[in-house]
Amino acid sequence: MDSLKEDLKKQIIEQLNLEDLTVADIADDALLFNDQGLGLDSIDALELIVLLEKYHGIQLTNPEEGKEAFKSIDTMAAYIRKRKEA
Amino acid sequence: MNKPALYLSAASSISHQPTFGNPGFSAALRPVEASSALISPDYKAYIEAGLLRRMSKLLRMSVACAKDCIEQAGIGQPDAIVVGTGLGCLQDTEKFLNTSLTVEGLLPPTSFIQSTHNTMAGQISLSLGNHGYNMTHTQNTLSFEYALLDAAMLLREGDRNVLVGAADEHIDILENIAVQLGFEINAPLTSATSFFVLSAEKQGSAKAALADVYTSGGTAYGQEDIDAFLDRNGLRAGDIDLALCAGAPVPGVTRNLDYLSLAGTYPTASAFALHYAVDLLGTSGEIKNVLICNGLRKSNLGLTLLKAIEA
Repeated sequence: MDSLKEDLKKQIIEQLNLEDLTVADIADDALLFNDQGLGLDSIDALELIVLLEKYHGIQLTNPEEGKEAFKSIDTMAAYIRKRKEA
Repeated sequence: MNKPALYLSAASSISHQPTFGNPGFSAALRPVEASSALISPDYKAYIEAGLLRRMSKLLRMSVACAKDCIEQAGIGQPDAIVVGTGLGCLQDTEKFLNTSLTVEGLLPPTSFIQSTHNTMAGQISLSLGNHGYNMTHTQNTLSFEYALLDAAMLLREGDRNVLVGAADEHIDILENIAVQLGFEINAPLTSATSFFVLSAEKQGSAKAALADVYTSGGTAYGQEDIDAFLDRNGLRAGDIDLALCAGAPVPGVTRNLDYLSLAGTYPTASAFALHYAVDLLGTSGEIKNVLICNGLRKSNLGLTLLKAIEA
């Protein structure tokens, strides 16, 4: 089990108040901003930017990077690892 | 005051007492204890899931009470929404400020949006799809009385039904700064919301009549203020069947009750007292005149006079 992905799911549930969801309900490849996935919206996108800095110390300033990074749990974890390696 | 009375067509509270959806609750209340918790309904029955997750505790309470009131009164839309709050949505204010101390970049938008005092009135209007007058009054311990006065003026100017209420919440830091709040605290600090539909005309659902409201803020007050208020309503202290007080009892009234012991302490606790009085007037045939005397702060006086509706 990838602990970063598990942590991300917990942090998303807390930051976005997704009270009805558990970690097990969120697939690693589920599309976060798609109604078939988590159905998040633009305010949630801003909350995710706050989450990245609050929990991972990463400031996301380029909107294009966010578009790619916030596709799914998989892409968020990959983005965090890439930024930490840099 | 020679103006005709206004009517309370609906009342709904969420508090540390079993007030919500429980007519007749006033008969069975015990003093609120420090270990007591908020008694919340299932909010999903009042607020759709997508909106619910963005709402803090106080917003959920406010919207649920507002919708309950609209249903009780049997009106499609109120002509106006008026809310009084002493300290606003403290949970979100605290979350926003705490994040601003730890995060250098973007701050959380949801807690910022919800940290403003007028969030409750705004969210209620969005939830109801209401485009009418929307106002929030924040005047410390007199916030609810000012909201009532505003609602009364709107009704005198031609509105038919106004949704008026109060909301305040407890967060832990209040315990540490209780002295600075300047309240006459003799009961635990609590959270609660109370909403009412105030109507210009007597409807089938009318529970009590609101005869008069008076405020005196930022100055010392005395018995003469209470006497003058009663006098302008053609009453004397002996005519009051029950005085609900925060602070000193009203001299000359046979039955005084400290409403903070039931509501707990929060800036708009007089709204709980109003619901208590409305419930009592609706269920007890013996009580005709109720005076709410809000002296939660020594320098602020709020007086509200309620009368039973004659059959």
